[in-house]
Amino acid sequence: MRPFFELLKKIIQTGVGKTRFLMAAVGLGIAMLLILIAIQAHSNFSQLLYSSKNQNETADFLVINKTITNAMMGQSSKSIFTREEIANIRKQPFVQSFGLVTSSQYKVVVQAPGDLHFATDMFFEAVPDSFLDVKGQDWKWSEGDRTIPIILPNDFLNLYNFGFSLSQDLPQISQETVKALPLQVNISNNQVSDQYMGHIVGFSDRISSFLVPASFMSWANEKYGITTAAGTSRVIIKTPDPSNPELVKFLQDNGYTTNQDKLKFSKTRLIVQTIVSVVGFFGLILLFFALLVFSMFIQLVIASCKREIQLLVILGTAPKQLQRYLLRQFVPLYIVIGILSLLLVTGLQYWAAGELAQHEMQVSTWPGVPVFAGIALVLGLVYIVNLLTVRKYVNNI
Amino acid sequence: MQIQLNQLMPIPLQDKLRQRSSDIWNQDVTFQPGSFVKIKAPSGTGKTTLIHYLYHIRYDYTGKVQVNGRPWQAYNKNEIAVMRQKDISIVFQDLRLFEQLSARENISLKRVMELKPYYPAEKIDEMAARLNVSHVLEQSGKTLSYGERQRIAIIRALVQPFQWLLMDEPFSHLDEDNTQRAAALIADECKARNAGFILTDLDNDQHFPYDVHYHL
Repeated sequence: MRPFFELLKKIIQTGVGKTRFLMAAVGLGIAMLLILIAIQAHSNFSQLLYSSKNQNETADFLVINKTITNAMMGQSSKSIFTREEIANIRKQPFVQSFGLVTSSQYKVVVQAPGDLHFATDMFFEAVPDSFLDVKGQDWKWSEGDRTIPIILPNDFLNLYNFGFSLSQDLPQISQETVKALPLQVNISNNQVSDQYMGHIVGFSDRISSFLVPASFMSWANEKYGITTAAGTSRVIIKTPDPSNPELVKFLQDNGYTTNQDKLKFSKTRLIVQTIVSVVGFFGLILLFFALLVFSMFIQLVIASCKREIQLLVILGTAPKQLQRYLLRQFVPLYIVIGILSLLLVTGLQYWAAGELAQHEMQVSTWPGVPVFAGIALVLGLVYIVNLLTVRKYVNNI
Repeated sequence: MQIQLNQLMPIPLQDKLRQRSSDIWNQDVTFQPGSFVKIKAPSGTGKTTLIHYLYHIRYDYTGKVQVNGRPWQAYNKNEIAVMRQKDISIVFQDLRLFEQLSARENISLKRVMELKPYYPAEKIDEMAARLNVSHVLEQSGKTLSYGERQRIAIIRALVQPFQWLLMDEPFSHLDEDNTQRAAALIADECKARNAGFILTDLDNDQHFPYDVHYHL
């Protein structure tokens, strides 16, 4: 240390109210720790949600439709999305991609071949191919093809195999068998009726509907359509994060509904976010009080050495020198506090990463960039507040 | 560095001073760099006040004190500090030592206030030896006699660079022999720097070859 500062140390006693200063330092440490934990918890949570390592929790497809209420029953037009509503959904930040679910505007009857004596009225829907979880070579249709590829919902087969067939004493059917079944598909409107072959190419977990390729759908609607452009009552979106509270709120506000199961994570997330925010908020409050005590301490030190400081200034000590000296008395402690909190957070993060890994949840072992930024920000704030306080009181002397 | 007074008049002493003639008060005076200036003044005519005006620690005056052509008020606190470290040194009448520091530390304070000290630390011992205060260097300021304090204050003023040295009755507590020693040291140090001084005292004296005499 400069010899001048060593002499200043004997003149300006920073020992007054040392306990108060140390308590403020402990407060600053706790504040810093809470803030850093909040930051790290937040980034851990984002990692769990978005990182590629935790893919199971990320991007999902949601089929959205309007909630059917008693008041709407019998008025099917009320469940149709208007152009504005569609544009509105499309522009939401959580919508990564967007597709319309087109429904068939003709009658469909499906018959099992041979002596299976199975026939049912049905409907078809189509979504853009990019929203499908089942893709295969067979999933294509072009004009003139007599065979229509069809995707069934997995639930449908399950309902049959574990519900219907057992109670009716019918054989259970494997997916392979269903795929091998040649189906007879009758498509008709009030004037014409045509026969096609149906071929089940896959089972979807994502979309609960009977799907045909979009190319077939638009061709068939054109050819057999009874009503003109019935409008869209279901849309499908891809969202990076189905637990996004914004998404849930958007759906609620507009009276839309979707597979609620996919949204269930949202509530957990809201709770976690609230806790993290509260922790961070208390950290900030504590930081504020720590800053207040530091300022008062500096004021006390300067006031108690007022005469000495006056004489120093008279003898030619620059206010800048005094500021630098005073800051040098406090700042190293702040840096030590910063390092200690960082070490603690690192330890906590290391431990948390280990614990989470046991549950197959991957978070980084070390604190992320935001934590360092947080430390820099808090230390910067403390430094600036100190500097301003010191400058104010030194210049007032 | 030029010091210039324009119609300087202390507000508290205004009425009293207007009734008598003065070489300084209410006059235009220029102190030439490097000159040895003696200001003789009876008690109560504002000796210390003048020194404090020149050093810019009292401001209750009319008129101007100009330093290098600019009034003191035009300098900011940091600029003034630099000038007090490099251009102007002072021996106060009331000495103003830190009692919590030893005599040596009091002197060192001025020596190391600048990042690059003007003199090495050994210079303190040399000057203390010349003024017969070597034996008190390690004592705390509290325990020194007035005569010792005065000599420490003089040495403190001499360990820094300066162009002007302001002295307010600097030998008031010294006997004849010590006064001679102190005066010789001050003269040597001023000459070494080509610096001038302004000394105020009650009486005439022959301690220095003064260039100018003023009556306050």
